[in-house]
Amino acid sequence: MRALVASLLVVLMLTVASALGATPVQLTFTVWSYSTDVILDNIKKFEAKYPGIKVSLQDFAWEKYTDVMTARFVGKTPTDLAYSSDHWLQQWAAANWIVPLEDYFPQVKAYKPDFAPYAIEGMTYKGKLYGLPYYADTIIFIYNEDMLKRAGFAKPPATWDEVTRMALAMKEKKIVEYPIMFQFQDITPWYIEVFLSMVYSYKDYQMFDANLNPIFDREGTAAHKVAQWLVDGMRKHKVINPASLETTEIPLVKAMGAGQVAFAVLPKYNLADLNTPGAHAQAGKFKMALMPGETHGTVGFVRFYAMTKMAADRGKAVQDAAWKFLEYFGGKTDGKFVVVKRWALEKGLGFAQLPLYKDPEIRAAINKWGNVSLEEEQAKVARAKEALTPFWGTWSLEFQKEMNRALLGQKSALDALKAAAAKWKEMKK
Amino acid sequence: MRAVVLPRRRYREARYAYATVLPVVLLVALFTIYPLLFAFVTSLREVVLYRPWSQPFVGLKNYLDVVRSEFFASAWVHTLTFVMGAVPLATVLGFAIAHLLNGRTRLAAWLNVTILLPWAIPTVISGIIWAWIFNSSYGAFNGALYSLGLINSYVPWLSRPRSALLCVLFAHVWKEVPLTSILYLAALQAIPDELYDAARVDGAGGLAILRRVTVPLLIPTTLIIVVYETMVGIVTFDLLYVMTGGGPAGATSLISYYLYNSMFVSYNFGQGAALAVLLAAALVVFILVYMRLLRSEEIYAT
Repeated sequence: MRALVASLLVVLMLTVASALGATPVQLTFTVWSYSTDVILDNIKKFEAKYPGIKVSLQDFAWEKYTDVMTARFVGKTPTDLAYSSDHWLQQWAAANWIVPLEDYFPQVKAYKPDFAPYAIEGMTYKGKLYGLPYYADTIIFIYNEDMLKRAGFAKPPATWDEVTRMALAMKEKKIVEYPIMFQFQDITPWYIEVFLSMVYSYKDYQMFDANLNPIFDREGTAAHKVAQWLVDGMRKHKVINPASLETTEIPLVKAMGAGQVAFAVLPKYNLADLNTPGAHAQAGKFKMALMPGETHGTVGFVRFYAMTKMAADRGKAVQDAAWKFLEYFGGKTDGKFVVVKRWALEKGLGFAQLPLYKDPEIRAAINKWGNVSLEEEQAKVARAKEALTPFWGTWSLEFQKEMNRALLGQKSALDALKAAAAKWKEMKK
Repeated sequence: MRAVVLPRRRYREARYAYATVLPVVLLVALFTIYPLLFAFVTSLREVVLYRPWSQPFVGLKNYLDVVRSEFFASAWVHTLTFVMGAVPLATVLGFAIAHLLNGRTRLAAWLNVTILLPWAIPTVISGIIWAWIFNSSYGAFNGALYSLGLINSYVPWLSRPRSALLCVLFAHVWKEVPLTSILYLAALQAIPDELYDAARVDGAGGLAILRRVTVPLLIPTTLIIVVYETMVGIVTFDLLYVMTGGGPAGATSLISYYLYNSMFVSYNFGQGAALAVLLAAALVVFILVYMRLLRSEEIYAT
């Protein structure tokens, strides 16, 4: 009898031990809503490769993402891994919500030579790398070639004056009422990136001096030229759609795809969507041009996978699982950038992982909807955003509000810039 | 004969009464008093989330900064404009619809069902729906006006400061009217028929009955509706967050949006808490004013 009881106890203990051993590490991963089906499929493949890790996905609208994440971090809602962006990094890192990967995974440094410099800059805070890239891209100038030809132009515009001239011609020929549209809703995070892309197309593009003091509010600066061009386009020439002030990325892409917009400044991956057969009425008619302006410079940005402080505090097992996740999604698996390549092939997302430009499969895929040589040329003159500070994201919203006041005619372009500069100085204090 | 209550028994009863209400008092303290006190304490400190290592005591500085800010005045102007439109509209429309629902007509049965629809839709969803309806490029509102020949080209309703605020106001009233209708309907159904019969016997017409019987008896309900709608109007946030993002150029940034901006965009919880305390104080003032203006006992007495 004793032997039977002892045997039963041993079996019970073994069952409990194996059950405990088999308990997978749970990771919560937050993203902004974009191709969630692809993300879920990537997660499924990751879980198949690492059966001991389970990932729970939570997605939120891009426009509200930073607000939602702030609420999560402040409220300590379990979050282990998250999409982040160069313009939030300083804030999130300073608040100690995300951790430097180098402190936990020194092997991450080996990836640096593979990444584009602007992407490294966008993921670095106080000299330490905080992420592995989800994607990195440039803001580009997109035009509807068919509309341009109907207006009598064989080449895309090379300067902002040419953009105005061509837009006026289109308006006069009644090809489209407002040839240009922007995504300038007060709170959309793309607003500032688009504005800066236009500023960076000028020779003297600097918005701040070496001590991070604003210089963009002086008369004749690149920022002033861009702001004035926008105000004139909307109020004087009436070539910029006034509905830009309520527009965010997806409605703009839809309006463009429907043939209501001839020119737009957008993140490059939208070109892939616009030219996807069957996705839009005008699909196939869209091309990219180098950003109009003196140097054709633009903004290069990076969105990346970050590990939260909450995950780091959960212990070694979670940290190890998080690294496997980070490396699978933003780094190499079996020597290849599997997930990054998938995003590039299927969705046209740009990448920071430079070796991928040599991949013939990727080059062929990009040429189906875009122009890989032009894309490389644009990437060469792309630069990371200046003066990324912990209050940069907050300030950008104030800047956007002030610029919209100028676009509504409530103040001059220069006064709007001066007000935005004053806000910067106040926050810098 | 007066009943004599022994001190010991009275003490036992009192102890029982306190013990009975204690759980509720604790819950109220936990979910109302503690957050209020916490917000007040936070408002006296410099709490900026990206400077977590330093939260010094700053006294009333946050209050002064908030009140001196240019957005404080403009946000209050937008909020009061919004409330002055929303409260009368939701009240009057609710009263009118309740009258229709209270009538024994075929329309009443149909309205009974349809009136509840806006109420059943979550605010965020109704915000998305209205944003689509008022969209400048493909909105149904523009489409309808264009089809009727009332406009020559689509109007950017949500891109103009005044029309954007009106659009949000319209969506807000659409969402609120079902509640006010139902409150009025319940009050109307509680009025005894004898009062109407007596008024008719005295020779009162429809309007006189409305003025002398219905309206006075609905004063307590009106007070509740006006106070509630004022509070809802002042703290409205989700609808405008979805429809306009506070824009264009901050034109639909109500005081609640300013509060949200301070906390979740600027990460300045100290200023946000100061604003929340000021907002709570303003709400108390509004409620006291309404209660003073609409004291039902005095109105009944006149």
